[in-house]
Amino acid sequence: MARYLLGRLLQVAVVVVLVATITFFLIHLAPGDPFAEAVANPDVTEKVRAHWREAYGLDRPLPEQYVKYVASIARGDLGWSFSAQRPVADELRDKLPNTMFLMALALLGSFAVGIGAAVLQVMKPGSLTDRVIGGLSLFLFSLPEFWLALMMIFLAYRFPIFHIPIGGMIDSTAHSSLGLGGRIADVARHAVLPVATLTLILSAVVARYQRAALLDVLPAEYVKTARAKGVPERTIVRHHALRNALLPTISLFGLAFPALLTGAVYVEKVFSWPGMGQVIINSIGSRDYPLLMASVIVGSIVVALGSLLADLLYMVADPRLAYDR
Amino acid sequence: MRQLAALAAILLTAIACEGGNKPSLGDAAATPGGTLVIASAGEPDVLFPPLTATITGRQITELVYDHLADLGNSLNTVGDADFKPHLAKSWAWSPDSLSIQFHLDPAAKWHDGVPVRASDVAFTYAIYKDTANASPLAPLIADIDSVTAPDSLTAVFWFNKRSPLQFFEATNPMVIIPEHALHGIRGQTLRTAPFARAPIGSGRYRFVEWNPGSSVEIAADRANYLGRPNLNRVIWTIAPDPNVAFTRLIGGEADFLEQLTPPELSQLATHNDIRVVLLPGLEYNFIQFNLRDPKNAARPHDVLGDRGVRRALTMAVDRSRIVQSVYDSLAAPALGPTVRAYPTTDTTLQEIPYSPDDARRLLDSLGWRVTGADSIRRRNGHPLEFTLTVPGSSKNRVNMAVIIQDQLKQVGAKLNIDKLDYAAFITRETQRKFDAMMGGWHVDASPAGIRQTWGSAGARAGGSNYGSYTNAAFDAQVDSALSSMTLDDRRARFKRAYQTIIDDAPAIWLAEPKSAVAINHRIHTPALRPDSWWSSIGEWWVPPAERIARDSVNPRR
Repeated sequence: MARYLLGRLLQVAVVVVLVATITFFLIHLAPGDPFAEAVANPDVTEKVRAHWREAYGLDRPLPEQYVKYVASIARGDLGWSFSAQRPVADELRDKLPNTMFLMALALLGSFAVGIGAAVLQVMKPGSLTDRVIGGLSLFLFSLPEFWLALMMIFLAYRFPIFHIPIGGMIDSTAHSSLGLGGRIADVARHAVLPVATLTLILSAVVARYQRAALLDVLPAEYVKTARAKGVPERTIVRHHALRNALLPTISLFGLAFPALLTGAVYVEKVFSWPGMGQVIINSIGSRDYPLLMASVIVGSIVVALGSLLADLLYMVADPRLAYDR
Repeated sequence: MRQLAALAAILLTAIACEGGNKPSLGDAAATPGGTLVIASAGEPDVLFPPLTATITGRQITELVYDHLADLGNSLNTVGDADFKPHLAKSWAWSPDSLSIQFHLDPAAKWHDGVPVRASDVAFTYAIYKDTANASPLAPLIADIDSVTAPDSLTAVFWFNKRSPLQFFEATNPMVIIPEHALHGIRGQTLRTAPFARAPIGSGRYRFVEWNPGSSVEIAADRANYLGRPNLNRVIWTIAPDPNVAFTRLIGGEADFLEQLTPPELSQLATHNDIRVVLLPGLEYNFIQFNLRDPKNAARPHDVLGDRGVRRALTMAVDRSRIVQSVYDSLAAPALGPTVRAYPTTDTTLQEIPYSPDDARRLLDSLGWRVTGADSIRRRNGHPLEFTLTVPGSSKNRVNMAVIIQDQLKQVGAKLNIDKLDYAAFITRETQRKFDAMMGGWHVDASPAGIRQTWGSAGARAGGSNYGSYTNAAFDAQVDSALSSMTLDDRRARFKRAYQTIIDDAPAIWLAEPKSAVAINHRIHTPALRPDSWWSSIGEWWVPPAERIARDSVNPRR
């Protein structure tokens, strides 16, 4: 097991290095300049811009920049963000937890809702409940994240019954004066809409996968035996069929990480959530090479570790796989 | 139609409100309080004034720190007549006008309690000027030779030449920063110092906190030497998505939003709790022609190098219709490379008139004739065709480009539109690899930047005159205008310069957008300065009867 884990972690490292290298050259070869905004200011002379390029090593040949970048990463130095005007590590330290918070809630919520919906559906396949949930999940599955996010804002604004905030992560006017409980509640209220957006879309996918998997398992002999013994249908589905039908959904768990990360980019933008989504959008637009590189590295680590986590869960759900390793 | 009527109604209200509310300062001073929440599209970059490049950063630092003197709403930058004392209580010119003595207010203190001294002023100048710091503002103080501090309350600015902008240079680009808080910190470490994100100033507001990606808060400095400001707190809440920013405003979560669009203005017609203020714009946009061949700058452009062709293309563009279609009433056709807000701009300039028939006749006379079935003019087999590079991030510029494409087609010119992302657009622009580009300049309070943007000085590599327009007469007229010491004479000289460049048509001057800001009725303001509405925030107030829950929250110490 330890050997297997070590091998997978090495794979993760190779994937991250490859992704980082390709991204480094692509972003540097793309037209644009980290000082584009400054160029648009006629008061900033070419002398000043040249000074900046020299100060950040952008006047050096690309291979040399790459070697220096790799060396600095090896030292644990992620560089300096041109757009945020602070160390990249500080920017990630502030923004990454916010995105992970959204992703974690959305991941838990979507799998709980999706699996629950699928269980309800297969209790009576073809029933009204099955068809309504099936139609709803298809509808949600076909929605773009940003559209659903805008609709959420519209609904929250038109029907302010629960006073759900429409953007941001905290109430800027009161947050600092609240106690710990109040602060947690404040963040939770602000997370409702972005988490709901991400959860609804992913849960639709989970429900469709899980329903199909359950329908595959329900005709199995052991289910028939349980029915013959008089075990209630609810218990059969929950305790006998579900565990065996979880394997395809666990595969989906690994695939959900990249989907959630890209979804978070749109959702964070629309809800002004201060996370990695905004960082990525801003760093691409401003050609903030160090910040973008760090975001890509972090993103690829999250995705690769998500895949590894899915494999481990696979082994928990089906211990036979663990013995094969 | 209903939308148009609503927009007209709100604009009338806006114009009526342009001067701001009449302050009942007695009430406000007696019961200060209130919270102003500004919905801001962008986060500040750094709160260290010599390095601050974002507009949000500038707004915050200009409230936390002090200028020596403040420019008035007239934006007259000539001499010192329209400046008000601020950190400097008074000043005196030397007999030869090559130095100015500023006498600091002896009561001024930094927010940590240390008195503000003349040595801070000298230190500030040194930081801005030090090339190791690469301040983008350093070129704006190029005419200042040195700053000395003969005593603790007197700072003397020494200039290398006399100019009408000496006082503006000494007081506008720089805010004074504390030497004691930055002792021993230089160069790149200034950016990384904690001070750069938690500033200590002497302004009427002190820094409270910065929640990265969420908000920045400043609070009233109750013991300030200029008096306690009326509002308790000012908070910038960051909303990169314009829909969220606007919804925060109409939902009451925010009190102030700038850069309103025509659709947003229409929506505000139904919100009686929000008023709109229109400020003269400090921005103009244009189609800039590249007068040199983008593949070989030694040669003139094969189509756009010809002054007659450029004039004909200008005649073919109905600028009034374009401005009306894209901006509604939120812009006026641009006059030239200037804005109406400048007191030095004469609005009677003679524009090249819109006349497609004259454009056709002129092109005919230049040998550009329609010969094929495609209705495109040709000369010696070469089509009258060029590409307009447009930043895709600007919806207004893209919309204008599409209308212009159609209008040029009517006179037999083919315009291709090349939409690029902003960073790629800037690269193409600075490398001068374009035929024509949809540009725009946001100008500062002084018109001196025109040398760089349209003069021969900026036409050289590294300059900002990307179309490489050169005309010795224009350069001389600009120089003479900028050295003129009286406003009327300056305006007359600038008129000659602007007329020269308009006649040469190195660009089609398109629109001069106004700045529309929305303010919650709860917030009362005096007249806003066109180039920096935030400069008077210390005087804004919320009457006690109109206060809401957030107005009574006390700032964190």
